[in-house]
Amino acid sequence: MPILQIREALREAIDEEMERDDRVFVMGEEVGYYNGAYKVTQGLLEKYGEQRVVDTPIAEAGFAGVGVGAAMAGLRPIIEFMTFNFSAVAFDQILNNAAKLRHLSGGQFTIPMVFRGPNAAAHMLSSTHSQAFESFYCGFPGVKVVSVATPYDAKGLLKSAIRDDNPIIFFESEVMYGVKGEVPEGEYLIPIGQADIKRPGSQVTVITWGQGVPITLEAAKMAEESGIDCEVIDLLTLRPLDRDAILQSVKKTNRAVLAYHGWPYGGTGAEVADLIAREAFYDLDAPVERVCYEDINFSYAENLEELAIPSPKQIFDAIAKVAYHSL
Amino acid sequence: MATIVELPRLSDTMEEGVIAKWHIAEGDKVKRGQVIADIETDKATMEYESFDAGTVLKIVASEGDTHPIGTPIAVLGKPGEDFEEALAGAGGGSKAKAEPEPQEEPESTEEPEPESTEEPESTQEPEPEPAAPSSDADDRVAASPLARRLAHEAGIALSTIEGSGPHGRVIKADVDAAIEGGGGGGTGTVSDGERTFVTRPDTPMKLSQMRKTIARRMGESNAEIPHFYLTIDLDMAGAVAMRTQLKAALPDVKISYNDMVILAVAKALQKHPEVNAYWDGKTIVRRGDIHVGMAVAVDEGLIVPPVRHTEQRTLSEVAGITRSLGTRARDKKLPPDEMTGSTFTVSNLGMFGIEQFLAVINPGEGAILAVGAIRDEAVVVDGALQPGKRMRVNLACDHRVMDGAVGAQFLVTLRGYLEQPLAMLA
Repeated sequence: MPILQIREALREAIDEEMERDDRVFVMGEEVGYYNGAYKVTQGLLEKYGEQRVVDTPIAEAGFAGVGVGAAMAGLRPIIEFMTFNFSAVAFDQILNNAAKLRHLSGGQFTIPMVFRGPNAAAHMLSSTHSQAFESFYCGFPGVKVVSVATPYDAKGLLKSAIRDDNPIIFFESEVMYGVKGEVPEGEYLIPIGQADIKRPGSQVTVITWGQGVPITLEAAKMAEESGIDCEVIDLLTLRPLDRDAILQSVKKTNRAVLAYHGWPYGGTGAEVADLIAREAFYDLDAPVERVCYEDINFSYAENLEELAIPSPKQIFDAIAKVAYHSL
Repeated sequence: MATIVELPRLSDTMEEGVIAKWHIAEGDKVKRGQVIADIETDKATMEYESFDAGTVLKIVASEGDTHPIGTPIAVLGKPGEDFEEALAGAGGGSKAKAEPEPQEEPESTEEPEPESTEEPESTQEPEPEPAAPSSDADDRVAASPLARRLAHEAGIALSTIEGSGPHGRVIKADVDAAIEGGGGGGTGTVSDGERTFVTRPDTPMKLSQMRKTIARRMGESNAEIPHFYLTIDLDMAGAVAMRTQLKAALPDVKISYNDMVILAVAKALQKHPEVNAYWDGKTIVRRGDIHVGMAVAVDEGLIVPPVRHTEQRTLSEVAGITRSLGTRARDKKLPPDEMTGSTFTVSNLGMFGIEQFLAVINPGEGAILAVGAIRDEAVVVDGALQPGKRMRVNLACDHRVMDGAVGAQFLVTLRGYLEQPLAMLA
């Protein structure tokens, strides 16, 4: 099976879907002649031309809005944000147009489009470029939110996202575009709304997504060395949540830890903790733990940034705590 | 708002604790979970982890001090914050008050004075509030929701399971171990090869404070007090006749034989003050007052409300008091100051047909009289056989306080009062 980087898997997904459906097009800053800020769209301009690979000015509100209009007119745009930090400029287009027009038009319009790009902290980008947007985009109806951490998931889910008739927020990671993994040859789709068990286990459920996945798997390894068998669930879709996967696992292990790149206040971590507390209360043998960002704006300084981002050791500590391991 | 750090309950039986060592000083910053002190409980010295975070504004309790649980021992808050009001409102030992043990002691004679230090509030053990998925007294047990459910499904009271989680939280592993160990794991069968028998598990019970107190005090009594026993058989014909007469003469006053025994005991104690005495650890203390207590069986155990100043009462007064005490004791409406303070106890099992028994002395008293049933018996009077009424009483005495002859003389005096009961009224 071919080994691809996440950026290559994403490119394959876009390429295959553009080839399959000529309504699909890419638009964003530097997606064409520069081949993409992170080289996701490399070669696509050459293959599909300027009409379908559109370089834009630095004007997120504008090209996000153009994308919404194109979707209303029957095209299937893929809007690339160089990072989701810049999507803040386009927030009104996403919140009030993309997410609402199907509702406002009584179903006359569908908005089949994808907003994609890297999310959350990368490395030494300071406060305005290190933000986790999952809690914002999961916080209102009308969109689906996806977050990927492997090449396999990236390709399968991006293809599903492009084919979905709803606006999709598709989170990648700047520091993970080079992550390699097996991607099967030929077409496959991963359904939106399904979590994936990245590591089966019996004693502690660790729920994660995005950049949380690799550090959680590392923590699970540390736990294994201490005799704790963890099940690692990658949510993949943050909205709508795969409630069954979460509850089934927690009912098996009786313990849950949430580990993710995101701020602690509200958001998906709180939502999942709430779900577990309500739906699996009498299956819980310990309080649910959350390991995530410190509730602060990020520093440029590397040492301070490291302190704000969850580490495998911190996740392991939370695993040990809910497993009553140190006792 | 300043946070008052109170002396925590670190073991079930802990009533007071000693600050063995402070790990913090005034002005220190404390994190939640940080060990702030070593506290000596009745069992061991344990680390006390702070439940709160803040700056130590004041250390209230010094190392080596003994305090009841709930006593403020330190104050946390923001630097410079005024905590005096919070501290004043904290009320020393508020949690200790909620612990009703001292008030509920069935036999309490620590204080010779009847109007002693008991506080009228908080006499009853707080009733556990029922909660849907838990059983009986489980609500106060710290347990994970899963452990709670599993214990409920297995029919095991959570209170019988030792918790191994943080702060004694009962977790799944503990319930599993309890089920494994057969703690209430239901019935089974066992065969000896010929027959099959049903087996049922042992069930450790959740004890009421009263039961705990009885267990502790009676254990102490039997272990510490050198008991000796004297039995005497009394002719109750005179008492029976007098009671019949009184019944006819005073239809509104219901006088029982026990009332007559109580008054007779009081009169006899007046003549034998060496029996109305107890061993305080160093010496014999003779009681100034005579408060004859009557043992009353209640649902949870036994209490001994006294008839105060018994020897100065009339028989009908005694009868009225014992009736009121008995009724209110069984209805759990007796305030603690009416439950305690006896100087000598009368325990009567005659109503059950018990002819004779030996009682255990209440710590703080020197003797206890165990009263049997009045029996119809053929007796020999002046060489002739005739029907008679007999009652056997047994006096259990603390040998440190008195010797056999003293107890015997007391019983002879008692016999006089009960065999010629008019003497009591004289």
